[in-house]
Amino acid sequence: MHLTRHDLPRLSHRGVSRRSFVHAISAGAVAAGTLSFRDVLSLQASELRRQGRSMILLWMAGGPSQLETFDPKPGHANGGPTQAIETSVPGIHIANGWERTAQVMDQIALIRSMTNKEGNHQRATYQMHTGYVPSGSVKHPSFAACIAEQIKNAELELPSVVSVGPTQGAGFLGVEYEPFVVQNPGEMPRNVASPVSEARLQQRLGLFGKLEDQFAQRGGQTVVENQRQLYDNATGIVLSDQTRAFDISNEPQDLRAAYGDTEFGRGCLMARRLVETGVSFVEVRKNGWDTHIEHFDRLGKLSAEVDPAMAALITDLKQRGLLEKTLVVWMGEFGRTPKVSARGGRDHYPRVFNVALAGGGIRGGQVIGASSEDGSAVQDRPVSVPDLMCSMCHSLGVDARHEHISPLGRPMKVVDGGEVVDELFG
Amino acid sequence: MRELGTVPSRRFAAFFVAASVLGGSLARSGDTDRGIESLPTLADASVEAVARDVDRLIDQFLADQGVQAATRCSDEDFLRRASLDLAGRVPTPEELASFVQEAGVTKRSAAIEQLISSEGFSQTWAGYWREVIYSRATDVRSLRWQNVFERWMAEQLAADRPWDEIVTMLLTATGDTSEVGSTGLIFAHGGDPTELAAEVSRIFLGIQIQCANCHDHPYDSWKREDFHELAAFFPRIRVRRTMDGEKRTFVVESADNARTGKTPPIDIDLAFKLLDRDQDGRLTAEEVEGRKALGNRIFRMIKLGDADQDGALSRSELEQLAQRPMNQVGRGAAEYLMPDLEDPTAEGTRTVPVSFLDERSVPFGTKDLERRGALAESIVSSNHPWFARAMVNRIWTEMLGQGFYSPVDDMGPERTAELPEVLDTLAAGFLANGYDVRWLYRTIAQTEAYQRAMPQAESIDAPAFAAMAPTRLRGDQIYNALMQVIGVEKLSRRALAASRAVQGSGGDGDFGRALFSALFNYDPSTPQEDLTGSIPQALFMMNSQVTHGAASSRGGSMLARTLREFSDDDDALAAVYRRVLSREPTMEEAAICREHISHVGNRAEAFEDIVWSLLNSSEFLTKR
Repeated sequence: MHLTRHDLPRLSHRGVSRRSFVHAISAGAVAAGTLSFRDVLSLQASELRRQGRSMILLWMAGGPSQLETFDPKPGHANGGPTQAIETSVPGIHIANGWERTAQVMDQIALIRSMTNKEGNHQRATYQMHTGYVPSGSVKHPSFAACIAEQIKNAELELPSVVSVGPTQGAGFLGVEYEPFVVQNPGEMPRNVASPVSEARLQQRLGLFGKLEDQFAQRGGQTVVENQRQLYDNATGIVLSDQTRAFDISNEPQDLRAAYGDTEFGRGCLMARRLVETGVSFVEVRKNGWDTHIEHFDRLGKLSAEVDPAMAALITDLKQRGLLEKTLVVWMGEFGRTPKVSARGGRDHYPRVFNVALAGGGIRGGQVIGASSEDGSAVQDRPVSVPDLMCSMCHSLGVDARHEHISPLGRPMKVVDGGEVVDELFG
Repeated sequence: MRELGTVPSRRFAAFFVAASVLGGSLARSGDTDRGIESLPTLADASVEAVARDVDRLIDQFLADQGVQAATRCSDEDFLRRASLDLAGRVPTPEELASFVQEAGVTKRSAAIEQLISSEGFSQTWAGYWREVIYSRATDVRSLRWQNVFERWMAEQLAADRPWDEIVTMLLTATGDTSEVGSTGLIFAHGGDPTELAAEVSRIFLGIQIQCANCHDHPYDSWKREDFHELAAFFPRIRVRRTMDGEKRTFVVESADNARTGKTPPIDIDLAFKLLDRDQDGRLTAEEVEGRKALGNRIFRMIKLGDADQDGALSRSELEQLAQRPMNQVGRGAAEYLMPDLEDPTAEGTRTVPVSFLDERSVPFGTKDLERRGALAESIVSSNHPWFARAMVNRIWTEMLGQGFYSPVDDMGPERTAELPEVLDTLAAGFLANGYDVRWLYRTIAQTEAYQRAMPQAESIDAPAFAAMAPTRLRGDQIYNALMQVIGVEKLSRRALAASRAVQGSGGDGDFGRALFSALFNYDPSTPQEDLTGSIPQALFMMNSQVTHGAASSRGGSMLARTLREFSDDDDALAAVYRRVLSREPTMEEAAICREHISHVGNRAEAFEDIVWSLLNSSEFLTKR
């Protein structure tokens, strides 16, 4: 909770202007009313801790096999043909196919003892994106929306949550925290660019505003007011220079090559540009991990796309001084059965899976927990989904016990239960 | 022991006494001795008589409040409103012209009758129910077959099937989900008893009983037990994946032969002693099959419990299996087990199905369809008012923009209603007319309350039903309105160029409708004040090729034709307004537009700006 001298240069490096910094503090002070000197100091410290923090989620949809990623079992029949390779950290071995990621292992903490009960894709995906199991009676806000609500950059002209591909919505937290979904990462998103010149758009908006006033006078005040706020935001995006963050075409060729000229690689590079601009949460999705058949062939192709992009992202963030404030999390909805099935695949297995984390104050180069020799059980230091969520909150300076009130008046914490995995930050 | 069919229920009665003493929510109606567990008896339940009663009650209420109701809305506003509500579309310029010119006091009734008999009525309301159900679906696999449900619902509405029959079909459905649309609600929750109990109560009764899932409801009369007794009507549903030739689909069926919970637990030590012939600590199919009752039981369990997929059951797998709770979601179980809050790993308490509405119950062992049928009877029963009230509250809220209870699905005896006597008059009429769905729409559309203008600026905070509250259109309504502006039946694939289809969320093969459903639809149970639109919606309307094309003055576009046909700017402007907003421009609007035209100095460009502004206007997206 204390402010270190090192935080300040990073803030400016991050593109957060001194003005916005002062603005954030004074807004906080105003909201809190009269403050003592001590209060102001602690407020500043907590504001500073949050300022400029963000998260990039690398979502492995379908349930990635722990045995072919970060928890190989080469000595056991369950391990299949997968080999273990050395990493930049002596003693930590991961699966072959992840050679680039192995080189940045000193930045990465692996949790090999994740354990959960949901073995159904949709339910587990919902849970890993909200911290709650699904229920028809309430649509839980996504974790992304909850953290954006607490750490968003007030001066940002872009949406504070961006996702490559569909994801969980903001639920009752509302339109401000809805994910802005991008279909073709690296390019300007659809409908963001105006098909007419800016002058013409301004001309149209002027006419539009006058006609809206007329409808307000005819009885449409409420809908007109909503529309005005929405169009202010949307126009802000259309006219903002910050939308260039979506477009990676001006990035150096060798950097683009390092990320990989793949959808996932472009998504990761775009994610770096977005957090650099001040977006709080970016999700980059890689489909195809549901490998009930042709498991080993498909895993090779998947890692060939994800490995370079993930390693390049961590390296790039580090080189730009962004890694300390950007939490990168690699995960999927569950793991896969340790025993290879008769069909040559691995099926759903929530009992043991793994997660990789980097940046955001995470101490890299360590493995937390362990699975048993045959991979069928957690042997050491089980970590639950709420534990993981609490840890992500801790990294981001987000209050995990902050309560939202659902539309039916039910209080709901950002994370219910769980504890921070302290070793991650030790 | 509870008695079957006790009416009124003890809990309602207890609440009623408390509310009377405290002068609670009922005091406003001035009719506290009627109680809340029954609906009034109407002398005349015809459309005209009930509409008259409704208006009399509202007028009296407004007079008591010293409030002047808004004037009757214009013919233009009425026709657009009624066309959207009763046929899901906006009127054509031709319909508008002939309606406005027509004389006679019955022309609005005639228009209501014509619209409500059109195909659009069943289509648009089937779309509404699809959103009600699938907006809260907890089993995403069901989304692929939303269209099957929607088609089925449209058929029921077109055939004038009464509401109680529709709901009974939804509750008692079985069959292939890709063919039998009535399985939609059950599949939307994968047959999960607790989700179904919550959703059935919420959607059809307006009662949020699921809050009692984990604890006694803090504000309501329901106890935790009531919720789980409701869930106990559903444990025998099984949702099973099936392969029919090439077609992969799901089947909703009854699992009446599921484990009864009465069979004694398996003696694991004995099983290994007798059956594990090679003593490897694993029971294989060969070892157990045909080896007495015990062996056959284990044989049937191998597939279920073989966690490590080695084709055999180890001791730990068998132990896991023995602990397995019986109410597994969508797998079918003989009886429902209420979870133990203190010990979530415990098996739970076997629970008899009892309806909290009228204490109707069925004994343990009752077959799936009998149970579900008994619950359906209890829900649609005239012994309690909630089934009729919930439907009236929903449809009235959709049509007038304000409900008696808000949110529409949070009613119940301890919520406060606006003008509860109006709600009950309509509910009584709905019931007296045998839950005739069209009767309800007709009656509401005939009221003066429905036909009022929007509130004037100074009376924005007027009490409920003094004026029409503007509401946000749903995706298919916006799509239909935009198609009229462009002058086509549906968007071509090319016009939607880069847009991706969204699975199962739109009409049959109508790509544009699917896109608009995905982009503009919302959960219809959300209160209107919480619907503020989304950034992608705004960006679509501002910048998409669809809008750009619709506002274009080139080639054979609507605007190009209009500008050629009308050389006078005022005439062209009026034609544009009629087509986009189904009305003439006001004097002020005409002046603003004329000024814009002269300022831009290019007629075609200025008119493109006008069409763009009207398409982006809140009015275009609103039922006024």
